[in-house]
Amino acid sequence: MDPRMCRKICSSESLPDAENEEFEVSNIIAPQESEDNFLLEGSPERHSVTWLDDDQIDDLDLNLDQTNLFFHRVDSADVIYRSKKKKCKMVGKYVMGDVLGEGSYGKVKEMLDSETLCRRAVKILKKRKLRRIPNGEQNVQREIQLLRILRHKNVIELVDVMYNDEKQKMYLVMEFCVGVLQDMLESSPGKKFPQRQAHDYFIQLLDGLEYLHGQGVIHKDIKPGNLLLTLDQTLKITDFGVAEALDMFSPEDTCYTGQGSPAFQPPEIANGAEQFSGVKVDIWSSGVTLYNMTTGRYPFEGDNVYRLLEAIGRGEPAPPPSSVGTLLETLLMHMLKRNPDERPTVQEIKRHDWVRARPALAAGEAAVGARSRRSDELHSSTVVPYLVERHYATPHHYFTEHDLRHELGDGGSRTMSTAELSDAESTQCKRRWHSSCGRLPSCRLT
Amino acid sequence: MFNPDINDYQLTSIIAECCGGIAVVYSAVYKPYIQKVAIKRYFVDKDKEKASLIQQDILTRKELQHPNILPYLTSFVYGPDLYIVSPLMNLGSCRDILDRHYQEGLPELACAIILRDVLLALQYLHKQFYIHRSVRASHVLLDIYGTVRLSGLRNAASMIVRGRRQRQLYSLPPPDHDNANLMWLSPELLEQNLKGYDEQSDIYSLGVFCCELANGAVPFAEVPTTLMFTEKVRGSRPQLLDCSSFPEPLDDGEMKSMYNTDSGVGDSAEGVSRLRAAYARRKLSDAFHHLSDQLLQRDPEKRPSATQLLNHPFFKQIRITDFLPSLIGRVKPIKPDPGDMSALLLQEKISEMEIEKSTEWDL
Repeated sequence: MDPRMCRKICSSESLPDAENEEFEVSNIIAPQESEDNFLLEGSPERHSVTWLDDDQIDDLDLNLDQTNLFFHRVDSADVIYRSKKKKCKMVGKYVMGDVLGEGSYGKVKEMLDSETLCRRAVKILKKRKLRRIPNGEQNVQREIQLLRILRHKNVIELVDVMYNDEKQKMYLVMEFCVGVLQDMLESSPGKKFPQRQAHDYFIQLLDGLEYLHGQGVIHKDIKPGNLLLTLDQTLKITDFGVAEALDMFSPEDTCYTGQGSPAFQPPEIANGAEQFSGVKVDIWSSGVTLYNMTTGRYPFEGDNVYRLLEAIGRGEPAPPPSSVGTLLETLLMHMLKRNPDERPTVQEIKRHDWVRARPALAAGEAAVGARSRRSDELHSSTVVPYLVERHYATPHHYFTEHDLRHELGDGGSRTMSTAELSDAESTQCKRRWHSSCGRLPSCRLT
Repeated sequence: MFNPDINDYQLTSIIAECCGGIAVVYSAVYKPYIQKVAIKRYFVDKDKEKASLIQQDILTRKELQHPNILPYLTSFVYGPDLYIVSPLMNLGSCRDILDRHYQEGLPELACAIILRDVLLALQYLHKQFYIHRSVRASHVLLDIYGTVRLSGLRNAASMIVRGRRQRQLYSLPPPDHDNANLMWLSPELLEQNLKGYDEQSDIYSLGVFCCELANGAVPFAEVPTTLMFTEKVRGSRPQLLDCSSFPEPLDDGEMKSMYNTDSGVGDSAEGVSRLRAAYARRKLSDAFHHLSDQLLQRDPEKRPSATQLLNHPFFKQIRITDFLPSLIGRVKPIKPDPGDMSALLLQEKISEMEIEKSTEWDL
């Protein structure tokens, strides 16, 4: 049975996941992918059923103080589900796959180029969502402009841009990547990489940065969350939303705005400098990234963004644990110099002894694999099931809430995970979480 | 040594246009030796992206030396175009031969000789840590001396990356102009997952090529690319067509949907039924069927290696006296055409010339 099933939200029976306490709605809400895809066949005479599609669910303001709080009692055998069929959807020449990740801008999904069979990732941007983000539309425009020009092995490639005026959506088609360093770090023991692995990534980060700086582009948001890996472990710098192209004729690399993630900002930005060297901002952030990858910690910590920026502003990074070795420690401390002028250039870093020698994998250390909670171990294409649906029609599969509970009970160990919740619900949870945490204007949290 | 100078070559005729119009293959005579050669002329201006691929092709071929791999003689730039000189394979490519003379496929013994020689080439390539990634009839060239040579090395990939030997590769070969190359690629290569693919991927392609040679038509031709992909991923294997494939006669519609040739004749219902009759009449050896099954296994680890395959019983039928050109007697060598010649002398803009589009002759 396909676990990604449609979920009915009603208060008469508690759902197997506690996260749903937030949702108390009188009407039945069923995510509806498209016209006839997702029918929930209950007893219509007893309920008023409202059909919503994913977009509408995003919009839906599920405030608990809604006027109509009315509870129905529904027998579990009366609630009939149809397994979520993988309805094949095309955008241009691309076949849509599953969601790879979600950002504040919208979803990132996997796609397959139906002509070349090349796997791709697509960033789906909704105009409506963009407008709610400070500088949202502007950042996207800048990102597209920059990515169109940039071409380097360690910089994400923008393959195609498509617009759907009717749906007010924009699709940025990119190279397919299997993992984000951030996710891999989070899933690894000690939230860090073996030095050998961190070294492999750092070298590639340096190559990418060297190219970007040579092209007069300051990324300004280097962090593990913006470093992706392809199938063959090539690192790709992504997210040029806050990047800045320097004036070609300017001899300086002066920048005026910093919009990056607080934990990776240098002291000059934390202290609110009006102008600063762009290149050295990326050096600093790369230093924090290396620090984080090799120690699992951050050089500066704070209970909240303000405390954090205060600590950064003082510019006294916590020394890395001695286990990293003196060689790496000197490099980290050099990159995290309070004074931007004292920080090394990319070329200087490349000449550093820690960078030149590839560290050996210590006994007992194992490389951290690219992970994603949504994919299988091999990161196989998620488009295949949609193609199967398209090319070999399969009969619908119906089951009731009662069957489902029965099966879950029998299965014993099998419990519903958040990954199995419908996407619409998880976005809803995320959005609430986002809006509840403090933000600096024009600052993004990791 | 061949001189990299256009004045030493006398172009005699046009053999084919290829690579979606960015290159033309001529037959020519190298004047100092009075030796026939083939010259591939690339209009580099037309596609700048491809320039690096051509460069890769030349570098790879310079590195390789094997009797069953098309050698590289020399190359030079003249005007805006790049010329690459190779020996002339004057019976053309297997694809041309199938299209023009053997729509129902080549005789079994001819298939055996060609497959053996291509396996020798692959055995060599794999030893050099190359994956060919483009084993197909249009990349297998024949001449009147019975030589079989593998070409199409611009899609080849080295397993040595930045000095380190890789166990797997992950990326698709560079896309060709019509994406036709995908039909020959293995399921694990097309899947593009963390398992990657290795040289056993070429063995699968050889299996598709084996069906192509024997059946005349390319398996999965005429089905949507995405269906071809799902079919392969789900493990469906193309088959050699003979009386065992058709225990009961199929109706025309069914036949047409299963296998379709892209030659002019095959497209008509009449052509299809004629082909079907030809398949139903013949019986291919059990060893041949066994070989194709072995090659086309879904799991790359189960496929025998090139070296193991050379000992397959199927190749035991080849006698030392068997001569390939006489087994495929319908094929005539490419001859210089005087009419073509005068046109050649006049032409400056090659694009204005009439070139037979149906030929696939990739060097």
